[in-house]
Amino acid sequence: MNVPSSRAIEAATYRVPSLGIRILAGAARFVALLIVLVGLPVVVLAYLADRGVTLPVTAPTLLLGGVLVSGLSTAGSILRPTRAYGPVSVATSAAAIGYLFAIGFQGTLRVAVPGTTGSLVVGYAGLFDLVLLVPVLALGAGLVTAIEDLRAPGERLPFEYPP
Amino acid sequence: MASFGSIRVDRPPPRLYRTARLFRRLSTVVLVVALVFVASVVYSGAELARSSPQTGGYTAGFAANDTVSVSGSLVLSNPGFYPMNGLSFEFHVLNASGGPLGDARSAPFDLAPGATTALPLELYLPISASGPAASLLVRDQTLHVELWGNATYAYLFPISVHFEQNRSWGAPFSGFSATLGAPASVNGSVAVPVTIDFSNHAPDPEPGALDVLVLSSTGASCGGATFSFGSAPGVTPDASYSQTQTVAIAAGCSLQGGTIVATYVGPLASIPLPPEAIP
Repeated sequence: MNVPSSRAIEAATYRVPSLGIRILAGAARFVALLIVLVGLPVVVLAYLADRGVTLPVTAPTLLLGGVLVSGLSTAGSILRPTRAYGPVSVATSAAAIGYLFAIGFQGTLRVAVPGTTGSLVVGYAGLFDLVLLVPVLALGAGLVTAIEDLRAPGERLPFEYPP
Repeated sequence: MASFGSIRVDRPPPRLYRTARLFRRLSTVVLVVALVFVASVVYSGAELARSSPQTGGYTAGFAANDTVSVSGSLVLSNPGFYPMNGLSFEFHVLNASGGPLGDARSAPFDLAPGATTALPLELYLPISASGPAASLLVRDQTLHVELWGNATYAYLFPISVHFEQNRSWGAPFSGFSATLGAPASVNGSVAVPVTIDFSNHAPDPEPGALDVLVLSSTGASCGGATFSFGSAPGVTPDASYSQTQTVAIAAGCSLQGGTIVATYVGPLASIPLPPEAIP
């Protein structure tokens, strides 16, 4: 009787979900991302507009950027067991960084103070420094994963899909 | 460590995998923190924008070192969740002709969340007969007040505010005039009646008197008198004053082309009013 190698035993310890399951989970992820990246910002825009605060960002820009980033992120989750996962994650992060720059990385906001002739100018570059950390860290994760998949394909799968 | 049924694989996750996982987890944590932070800042900022600063009433009066002081207050409230740090204000006052009268700035201070504070604003305008603030003594006018403020809100957001406001100014010696009557000979010397007229449109009474000097065309003093108005000129705001005194003129002093110079002398200040020419 042949004794299986430790790699062979390890390979039998994880089960990659089927493509159909991954597409289904990806669809749910896509909807959730749309809510966070498009719905929530649009609600914030409307909330501020009702109070006389107009941001230099339009709803179509939010929609386009949000759908692009959500779509790429969903594709990444579907492709997670494959070697395309790393590059798609990098592309998602790059798109998110571009999206942040597009909506005004060094932005300032001018608000008329109600009931007066006064105006308020708010700089929000500091906020983008914080938010930019999210795609930058994700970009790092994607790069490392791409390198790992090049050096040892499938090495991460037992840990990505534990039994 | 992964397991399969009773089989366990004790291989630790590879270093690259652990690194990528750490990046992903950090990214998620930062995203959640950023979302919560942004939502709360947006709400707080909107509440802050709605609670527009209120300017309190202002007072004006004579102060030490020959100045007019303009005092007021700016009531600020911070209804949001985050502090305003390093809040500082600077304001400028221009007279009716657009001439700068003076400026003042406040020392930086912090406004805690939920706090309301009244920021005192005090401006001292130096008065001289030729300076831009001289017209404040004798002419009612509209002053243009500009205010700038800077602060950092919610630790990350530099904000600046700018307000402009017009405030009406009531002059304490509004419409001041000094006129000479016909000279008369009294006991061998010449005397002229000097009449001064003005209305006090200042919001507050000012104790004191007016010293009036009659000067020749060369600037030599020909004579003078002190005008008292009860306890003070302008003791009653909105009151009009008209008083005449006879001034003995020094021998040989020519009044033609001269000037009448009135100086307000109060407990805090001695301020010359714009001179009146003698026709």
